[in-house]
Amino acid sequence: MSSKSSGSAQLRSLKIMGEDVWKNRTEKVNAELFTLTYGSIVSQLCIDYQRDFQKVNKQLFSMGYNIGVRLIEDFLAKTALPRCENMVKTSEAISKCAFKIFLNMTPQVTNFSPEKDAFSLIIDENPLSDFVELPMDAMKQLWYSNILCGVLKGALQMVQLECDVWFISDVLKGDAHTELRIKLNKVLKDEIPIGED
Amino acid sequence: MAIYSFWIFDRHCNCIFDREWTLSSNSSSGTVNSKQNEETAKLLYGMVFSLRSMTQKVSSGPLKNEIKSIATGKYRIHVYCTASGLQFVLITDFKQQSYTEVLQYIYSHIYVKYVAHNLFSAYDFADNKNETRGQGFRKIANRNFVQSLESFLSPMIVQ
Repeated sequence: MSSKSSGSAQLRSLKIMGEDVWKNRTEKVNAELFTLTYGSIVSQLCIDYQRDFQKVNKQLFSMGYNIGVRLIEDFLAKTALPRCENMVKTSEAISKCAFKIFLNMTPQVTNFSPEKDAFSLIIDENPLSDFVELPMDAMKQLWYSNILCGVLKGALQMVQLECDVWFISDVLKGDAHTELRIKLNKVLKDEIPIGED
Repeated sequence: MAIYSFWIFDRHCNCIFDREWTLSSNSSSGTVNSKQNEETAKLLYGMVFSLRSMTQKVSSGPLKNEIKSIATGKYRIHVYCTASGLQFVLITDFKQQSYTEVLQYIYSHIYVKYVAHNLFSAYDFADNKNETRGQGFRKIANRNFVQSLESFLSPMIVQ
């Protein structure tokens, strides 16, 4: 067990920490197995919902949400990161630590809104959509990797950041990049026991 | 070193787990998730809560000042807070300065493994609005969790 106090974790750059955790403290699985498992989930959902892709998107999102609310504990246990004070810091933690640890990739952070409350992640090598070619009818509506949006939404909510997360473009739909947008709605207040206010 | 009791609080200010050892000679003595400890849990939470907000107010610099331990005349309280709002609290004697690693281990190897990764266990111990803000009553009653916590902590009860 390596011990990292929250202070020293902040001093080290997030990038080095993400790489360290991924290298030394993460069990690896075959990426193809992961890709194919996800593919079978999506195709099963398309069958179950009779190719109603809006419903499939919604279901993938809520599955992701349920993963995110649990995955955040794993992430925090591995990194011992404290809360991020702003969205710039949050974006760094997501791209350099979270994506690195769980998917071994570092999406590029771009397109900050002027208020710095929204940003985009450019996901160039998306392991979820390796080998995937969408059929014509799915291309219009299906956000194949929508589970990622749910995961981010759920995980951020657990650290009191109420966000909207959605895909703007996807290479599977013929766009140049896969772009995922995160927008902060509200920083949730920590609860206080009844009678304290 | 000896440990006297161990508590977990969630982000809704509820005590979701408590373990108190009464006889230091017997590592299985004492109570788990006892109703009688409800008041003590609230007082303990309140104490940590107030001191925590105070430490954060009197700190300067960019790094957030987190409370690590509180010492009284008879025992020391060790606190480990996570960004998701969980608080792990351990009450011990004075022989050992820091239990941060112990608490971190409990979080990352016992809590995450048996509670967060257990899809059949709730991830949020407040079911509805009426159970937030310290009014909840749900506890971690997960057998694997209790067992591995017990076997991890029992060597530390008396030493």
